[in-house]
Amino acid sequence: MNRKWKSIGFAAFAAALSLSASFAEAAGVLTIGRREDSTTFDPIKSAQNVDNWVFSNVFDVLIRVDKTGTKLEPGLAESWTISGDGLTYTFKIRDAKFSDGSPITAEDAAFSLLRIRDNKGSLWSDSYKIVETAEATDPKTLTVKLKTPSAPFLSTLALPNVSVLSKKAVEAGEDAFAELPTASSGAFIVKEWRRGDRVILEKNPNFWQADRVKLDGVEWISVPDDNTRMLNVQAGQLDTAIFVPFSRVEELKKDANLTVLTDTSTREDHLLINHEHGALAKKEVRQALDMALDKKAIVDTVTFGIGTVANSYIPKGSLYHYDANYQYPYDPAKAKAMLADAGASNLSLNYVVNAGNEVDEQIAVLLQQQLAKAGVIVNLQKVDPSQSWNMLIDGSYDISVMYWTNDILDPDQKTTFVLGHDTNMNYMTRYKNDKVKDLVAAARLELDPKKREALYVEIQKLAKDDVHWIDLYYSPYINVARKNVENFYQNPLGRFFLEDTVKN
Amino acid sequence: MSARAVSLSHAGWRTFLGKRTMLVAGASILLFFILMAVFAPLIAPYDPILQDGSARLQAPSLPHPFGTDNFGRDILSRIIWGARIDLQIAFIGVVFPFVIGTIVGTVAGFFGGIVDAVFMRIVDIILAFPFLVLMLSIITILGPGLSSFYIAMALVGWVSYARLIRAQILVLKNNDYAVAAVSLGFGRMRIMFRHLLPNAIAGSIVFSMSDAVLVLLSGAAVSYLGLGVQPPVAEWGVMVAEGQSFITTAWWITLFPGLSIVCLAFGFSILGDALGELLGVHE
Repeated sequence: MNRKWKSIGFAAFAAALSLSASFAEAAGVLTIGRREDSTTFDPIKSAQNVDNWVFSNVFDVLIRVDKTGTKLEPGLAESWTISGDGLTYTFKIRDAKFSDGSPITAEDAAFSLLRIRDNKGSLWSDSYKIVETAEATDPKTLTVKLKTPSAPFLSTLALPNVSVLSKKAVEAGEDAFAELPTASSGAFIVKEWRRGDRVILEKNPNFWQADRVKLDGVEWISVPDDNTRMLNVQAGQLDTAIFVPFSRVEELKKDANLTVLTDTSTREDHLLINHEHGALAKKEVRQALDMALDKKAIVDTVTFGIGTVANSYIPKGSLYHYDANYQYPYDPAKAKAMLADAGASNLSLNYVVNAGNEVDEQIAVLLQQQLAKAGVIVNLQKVDPSQSWNMLIDGSYDISVMYWTNDILDPDQKTTFVLGHDTNMNYMTRYKNDKVKDLVAAARLELDPKKREALYVEIQKLAKDDVHWIDLYYSPYINVARKNVENFYQNPLGRFFLEDTVKN
Repeated sequence: MSARAVSLSHAGWRTFLGKRTMLVAGASILLFFILMAVFAPLIAPYDPILQDGSARLQAPSLPHPFGTDNFGRDILSRIIWGARIDLQIAFIGVVFPFVIGTIVGTVAGFFGGIVDAVFMRIVDIILAFPFLVLMLSIITILGPGLSSFYIAMALVGWVSYARLIRAQILVLKNNDYAVAAVSLGFGRMRIMFRHLLPNAIAGSIVFSMSDAVLVLLSGAAVSYLGLGVQPPVAEWGVMVAEGQSFITTAWWITLFPGLSIVCLAFGFSILGDALGELLGVHE
């Protein structure tokens, strides 16, 4: 998923301050503080974590990702079979009801799958173009035919955006549904959405696992300022807060009323390199840059030792991560010599930095000094996040730091986006390697897990050798909860298991 | 910060301190910072942009009297070097609006009629926008950086000076000596800039002192928002912004540069007040 821009305006900040006094405290209602408010309740119309993390507790999916974020488990689909040619998938829908009491049928499932593929407003249609037909062969059986075999297909069904929606409720009015869904298939229903302020969820008594849900409700409250949000949890005005800044972890850990939770994520921060700009087209130059960077220092300074140095674009703990992948040693002297050999001893780079992003700015200041030791002059260009994204797309940059979090457990999505010569110029890097491109396509079709893993190992080695970008570090989700909250957990793909959360 | 015409001075200071004491105090504060800026390479104990991973987030101590930031940079050294940038901001940010505003105000006041109407409507248009909003829009168009800040300042800041001077000229041009100069057949340029302007300018000079405070704060605000001084250059506003995320754990990163801004602004403010008294300008 693309970078989630955080833009903290002064207005929002002021609004947050004035709000902080008015948090309602109700028994069994969990309050969660976050940076931004939701943008929609129509799952196909958002690609942002702020929305997806709420969707997954309001709508259920056919197939879920488990708590470890590495395995698929049955959701609304009780079981499924795959035909020998890998083209036909048959799902058995379990006995379950929407929150309005109507049964969840195969027809609703087929409708939801075709809608994300065909709807004009869908941001995800490309991912589901592989679906040839989806139909309800009987009220409890969904049959999906694919155009070509696809190894990652099942894992794409776990995406919150392809959740099973009530056909009746959506067809009654798409826009009204996006504001306030009238039927939920998940653990909670949306009771009220105060735009810019909070989303109020209430337990769904018709949820098929309703006895699993302990909370009466959940409130997602937006508190944009990091300092204010942390203070609210410390003062007990919020039960939990997400997006804890690295710099606050040590201090919060000392508070006896709080638990700091670091849950494994798939987040990887990396340095994008524009391969079309002069000397950066040479592999040796990019390798020299990789050697000039002291990633350990970044982990220590920026993440306060919480992150870990990255060695592959597939994050540690994810499917097919190659742990033995090569890691360029930190050696500024050798980097300088390599740059001289490549005829790039007077390299000067334009570094696009997101203004207002604390972590980005810190990395920039660090990298500038590190690269100076290898004789590379770095000009920092701080720009508004809305602008920097376009600058990356237009190619008006040399280097820039970005991050990525996986949406599905299969590595295909990120691999295609980053190395598969997709429409986005390999995530704006303009990296070109036809051998890698062919391997990415082959890995998508390979259904044997062993052979597939071998392909991904090969891809990771080649990408590292080419330095398509520079892997910097992996970091966990950092959340904070008061001691009376139990089982507040986020899996690596970001899903909160609020159906298991308890507030004592 | 939109009410730029409001002076920061308070009548209370005048009764509390004699005007001479105020003049000396204001000038001393200013001189202190100027000396600090000039001799920065000699007095700063460390390189202001040198990062030291082994000395991160250290509280004030003997080797680092003002502590260190999250990169292990010495705060004191950064404040000393930052004086160069902040004084430059206060100076350039005042000079261009002062010169432009004075010329426009003189011409508009002297000629009157259509010339006056055109210039004053432009002034009205610029004043119709909140000051900081207009500044930020211009800087966003030009791209972040100090030079953009100066250009934006020159484009927006001159209106206050133009209005001040114009009002003075309107009064002065009907004085006997001005009428006499006209009847003696002196050229318009000579009358405007040699006879009228020297008598009209005192108010602007006093205003420029309190304006320097506002420019300094605008510069800090713009840098705080990431549109002014670019890292790793040390500037007080940037330093405050960088320390924001550590405010509950490492207060010294924000406190000392913040205090520096306050001190310099205070110096300008009382100097302006004292000058006003001496030059006989009443508000």
